[in-house]
Amino acid sequence: MEIFLNQMAELLEVESVNLQDEITSFDAWDSLTSLSIIALADDVYSVSISAQDILNAKTIESLYQFIQSKK
Amino acid sequence: MNFHFTNKKISGILTILPGNEVTFEDEMGNYNFSEVKSLKLKAAMGFNKKRIVKPGVTGSDLCLHGLNYLLDHDLLQKDDIDALILVTQSPDYIMPPTSNVIQGALGLKTDILCLDINQGCAGYIVGLMQGFMLLDQPEIRKVVLMNADVLSPKVSKRDRNSNPLIGDAASITVLERSNIVTSIACTLKMNGMGAFALQIPAGGAKLPYSQETAEMIEDANGNFRSKDHLVMKGDEVFNFVQTEVPPLINEVLKLANITKEEIDYFMFHQPNRFMLQKLADKIGVSREKMPNNIVENFGNSSGVTIPLAITFNIGNEIENKLYKLCLSGFGVGLTWAAMVIDTGPLEFCKQIDY
Repeated sequence: MEIFLNQMAELLEVESVNLQDEITSFDAWDSLTSLSIIALADDVYSVSISAQDILNAKTIESLYQFIQSKK
Repeated sequence: MNFHFTNKKISGILTILPGNEVTFEDEMGNYNFSEVKSLKLKAAMGFNKKRIVKPGVTGSDLCLHGLNYLLDHDLLQKDDIDALILVTQSPDYIMPPTSNVIQGALGLKTDILCLDINQGCAGYIVGLMQGFMLLDQPEIRKVVLMNADVLSPKVSKRDRNSNPLIGDAASITVLERSNIVTSIACTLKMNGMGAFALQIPAGGAKLPYSQETAEMIEDANGNFRSKDHLVMKGDEVFNFVQTEVPPLINEVLKLANITKEEIDYFMFHQPNRFMLQKLADKIGVSREKMPNNIVENFGNSSGVTIPLAITFNIGNEIENKLYKLCLSGFGVGLTWAAMVIDTGPLEFCKQIDY
């Protein structure tokens, strides 16, 4: 979980993120961030997720749980 | 499914690029995004320069320019062409086939097979397969395979998803029987359930062009395009490529009875640098062995990026030397295909401008 938070902070270009943060609320958020998260899920967790999955998850915590559930 | 070809070869490759060059910065103002975000996209994807045609220029113009170059330089003789294949998604007309139009324009003999194939990112491999199959016919000794795509007019200038990467180009590949024993392994897969991941919705029989289809609509990411324009589901395509292509490569290498270390170059379709780097890492080959520099120099011209990767990166070398190549194309269809083929020394392997 700690590692995932760091990875998300890096992609969203902030120092740190919280579990309850909304993914799309960050200034850096755009379709490239979305693709980078999809690539992260594939690279590190070997899970295929869609852009819609990220939007559906809303928060960082829900996204983490979604990725875990697909492993 | 697997295919096997024996005693066939590629004897020459020519690629043809429009002389008109456009940079990412030239078009950045079209997008509904801040400059910072657009430049971030440029850095991640490897966008820089691309070649697109001037209005009115079509794929057949690029092909004819290339064929005339080969004829003028005695690299090809008219009467030797027994089959003329054109792989394209941007034909000149719905009817007649563009390959017939090209045959007529050049005044080629009538004992010839002209054949248009509608395939995209994997089209070069599909064209090679078709050409090698034709060479089993006694009367077909030389096949000229053209691959041309001019899709820039089909992409919305205000679509940051597709416009930065799209490029136009054509290639001409000459296929012949080989005097020495050769073995070419090929693996091909298709999945029409993903047929609409990459699409131009309007303009065919299902949805003819109309005022409604030309209407520009903003998508959830701030891109503007109409139904007349090319649309790509980037996330689906990314996942498809990362999931399906690495096992495909393992399969074709096994079929060819060769290890990935023995392959000199992995000449792959070039969607963008980001996807190719991820692919190289996942397949477990060095990024040097899988060139990813076509999009940043010329743009993504669909299937033509495979021969472009060859002419641009090893054009001079392969005229004098044999290379073990693994070719792969993946995208529109969905279609994904790979081929292991010994190639070189080629009679010609050049790149020219239109």
